[in-house]
Amino acid sequence: MTSWNRNIYRSFIIISFIGIVVLVLFGISQVLSYLNTGADRTSMLHLAVSKEQVYLPKLEWKDTINPGRPIEKQTLLDIEHDYLNAWYIRNAAYQTNKKEGIEDYYTKSARQNLLKSIGSNKKKDIAIHGTTIHHNIALDFYSADGQLAVLSDTNVKEYQRVYKGDEVLLEAELRSDYQVMLMLEDGFWRIRHMVKEEPRPLDTILQNKTLARVIGGKIVIENQEYQIKGINYYPQKTPWNMFGDDFDIDVIAKDFDIINDSGLNTIRIFVPYEVFGKAKVETEKLDKLRQVLDKAKDKKLKVIVTLFDFYGNYSVLDWTLTHRHAEQIVTALADHEAILAWDIKNEPNLDFESRGKENVVAWLKEMISQIRQFDPNHLVTIGWSDVESASLLKEEIDIVSFHYYRDINNFIEAYNQLNTQINKPMVLQEFGLPSSRGFWSPFGPSEKGQAEYHKQFQEIIKQENIHFLSWTLYDFEEVPSAVVGKLPWRKHKQKHFGFIDRNGNKKPAFEFIAN
Amino acid sequence: MKVKLRHITPLLIVLVLCISIAFTAVLEKTEEVSAALITKKTMFNAGSIIMLKFKLNIPSETQLFVHSSYGSTVINPDTHQGSQFTIPSFIANKKGIVTYTLFYQSKILTQGEIQITSNETTQIYLESYIGPPSIIAGGKDYTMHVVVPTDAYDNPLPDSTAIVMKHQFLETEKERIIYSKDMIGWTNIFSYNPSGRLLLFSKVNKKVSKEFSVDVFPALPENFQIRSKRKHMYADGNQITQFITSEIKDEYDNVISDGTLVDFVIKDTKGVMLHTQGSTINGQAIAKMLHPDKKETWEVKAYVQGMAESNTLSITYTQVLEDFNVQFNNNNREIIIGPLQSFMEQLIPDGAMVRMDIFKEQKKIDTKIKTTSEGIVRFLLQEGFYPSGSYDIQIKALGVQKEYKKTILQ
Repeated sequence: MTSWNRNIYRSFIIISFIGIVVLVLFGISQVLSYLNTGADRTSMLHLAVSKEQVYLPKLEWKDTINPGRPIEKQTLLDIEHDYLNAWYIRNAAYQTNKKEGIEDYYTKSARQNLLKSIGSNKKKDIAIHGTTIHHNIALDFYSADGQLAVLSDTNVKEYQRVYKGDEVLLEAELRSDYQVMLMLEDGFWRIRHMVKEEPRPLDTILQNKTLARVIGGKIVIENQEYQIKGINYYPQKTPWNMFGDDFDIDVIAKDFDIINDSGLNTIRIFVPYEVFGKAKVETEKLDKLRQVLDKAKDKKLKVIVTLFDFYGNYSVLDWTLTHRHAEQIVTALADHEAILAWDIKNEPNLDFESRGKENVVAWLKEMISQIRQFDPNHLVTIGWSDVESASLLKEEIDIVSFHYYRDINNFIEAYNQLNTQINKPMVLQEFGLPSSRGFWSPFGPSEKGQAEYHKQFQEIIKQENIHFLSWTLYDFEEVPSAVVGKLPWRKHKQKHFGFIDRNGNKKPAFEFIAN
Repeated sequence: MKVKLRHITPLLIVLVLCISIAFTAVLEKTEEVSAALITKKTMFNAGSIIMLKFKLNIPSETQLFVHSSYGSTVINPDTHQGSQFTIPSFIANKKGIVTYTLFYQSKILTQGEIQITSNETTQIYLESYIGPPSIIAGGKDYTMHVVVPTDAYDNPLPDSTAIVMKHQFLETEKERIIYSKDMIGWTNIFSYNPSGRLLLFSKVNKKVSKEFSVDVFPALPENFQIRSKRKHMYADGNQITQFITSEIKDEYDNVISDGTLVDFVIKDTKGVMLHTQGSTINGQAIAKMLHPDKKETWEVKAYVQGMAESNTLSITYTQVLEDFNVQFNNNNREIIIGPLQSFMEQLIPDGAMVRMDIFKEQKKIDTKIKTTSEGIVRFLLQEGFYPSGSYDIQIKALGVQKEYKKTILQ
């Protein structure tokens, strides 16, 4: 018995000894591996600083002629890149009242100025959401050893929105001139001095709309009054994915014939923001869009192009990326005769609740001015989802567009109500009724009901002489979840708005597609 | 029913009262807050206390949005519902335009701007940048001296600030007054013909900068001469010949920088190239080469690669011996060469090379090389390697060749 006990003790001692050794070894190895972690030494050289661009305000070099020395192209790009980063970091710091990144883009003495200002804002619970929109840079000086540069940045367009806590205190649009001295330190061009200067007066350029105009409350194209009789268009097989891999211009051409033959003259199409490549628009997508527009021109259809489909950020720091997106698309198509109007965004008022009305409206307002810069030839509108929102930004846009899916009997009243507030052309940009009677909607409208609805609507439209675009040409097999959510009864409804059913047969409503 | 006056009077009074209250309420609502700036001054020196006073028609809680060189902030009035705002020091200390917007409940009441200028009454600081830190003599190369004068609040001084820039080089001292533009004052200083050290400094008002220096290095070397130096003229394979350059200079007579590498290329009578090199000290480079071990004429030329070259030097070595003894022992299997005697009949120093080629039936089957020890080299032809038969043996040492045909090995 005693020997049993002794053996148990012995084995216990041995096992615990081994256990302790294992633990100690494990501990030492952990300490060693911890000491070996940390920043890679090459990171000191800043060779691998992330180059993904998150801030893309329009930047133009006015000139680089300077008395110091001619500048190399590579250095010019470096300065441009670091200077914009400095602005981004500054804007981000004012937004969050944190000082991340400031020391990379401001020298030791310059960064004090930012830190004090940010510290003061933090104390007062003030956050400033801001961005710059446009920079015009001239190089004033570049030193012989390539370590120092002085820039003039004129007419910097800035937008700032001031918050105290969650409350918006003020929105400010500023135009300033800056003179900036930068120094090359640790591989970064850092701001050493920054002085805001007396702004020089702007050269005002009068822009003439040449392809489409609004005169006296009427849309005019080639000196003729233009009445929009239109339809929102997606190809039947690829709704909400018109420019994807299944893009087929022949299918679209056939659809355009159907639209044209039915007496319509306008279509509305959608350009999704992410699919088109965000700030770097994919040429392949742009090319497809151009093909569609060319085809529309052949078939004598005008097109309302809705931009920024499925975009939903609106945050001030994201503005410049969306500006570059718009720039690439709109500039490329500024002279296209098929375009009637740029529709900035489809139903942006639906984002008011989730993204903040002030965010959305400010973004839209700036985007209108951006698009006008890129394209003076076409009209600008916003596709509001209801009549209540339609008078927002009415001064900025050329034509007021709204959607109407409510009771048809209240339409006239709503329309007239809106009409009193607005003296610009008004477009009923979406309306329609799904012939959705079926399993998911046993009491939904039948195809006959749909036809009746369109018949009635066309009568009103004719009577009031309203610009219209109905929703939509086809019934769809599939509706992506991003459009109406995942719920099957919602999808079901969205699938049956068409004038032509999924087998290609014209539904009774087709008779009333136009007046 | 009869209407009595005493019934109507209180009613009327109440009615009048109601109307007047309603009116004042409406009036109060329609009257909007408006404001105007009272402060006349719009130019301030950096660092001064800046107060903006507005006139408000109704005392209300206004706020001031301020946008300056380094960003924006919102400031509250000095007193509750007051109309005087003190610009915080971090804005008041910095040069530039400050735009302000007085607002009340998101409504802009008035806007304007003030200008803050750098404060020259404070201590001035000079930031100097000089580059490149070394240049080449001769007046083609230059260094740039950039001065950023700032006030005590780190604001660049205004354009056209006079900056005195001085530099000294050997006996020259030069002073130049330049006027700042775009925050900086700058000047290019071109090198002089001599090499040396350039000292620079700058001065604004009474503030002087510290001393800066720029090295002026000699320009590219010019062609030069070489000579040789040796202990004797014999090809003993033992002594060392030195090749020495003249003092290498640039076109302005500056001795080129120490450490400039000079390559010596030696071509022997067979056209074989030998290399040696030396780096300069005080303009002179010395390179060394072992004497050849046979009669030889060397053509020597030196180069500073890509920049300069020397003359070609011809140098001849004479043979140290006319003949030597060869002894065959042990059935010709042991061959003793020597003693090899040098030019004064002294034993050749250890290490002279002796080469023996062995032929069998006109075909070279082996080469044996050995160096002398006390003037003697001993070759052994062992039985295992060299079976019995007739061999031709050729021996070369210090440029002398001897042949023994049909040597019979047993």
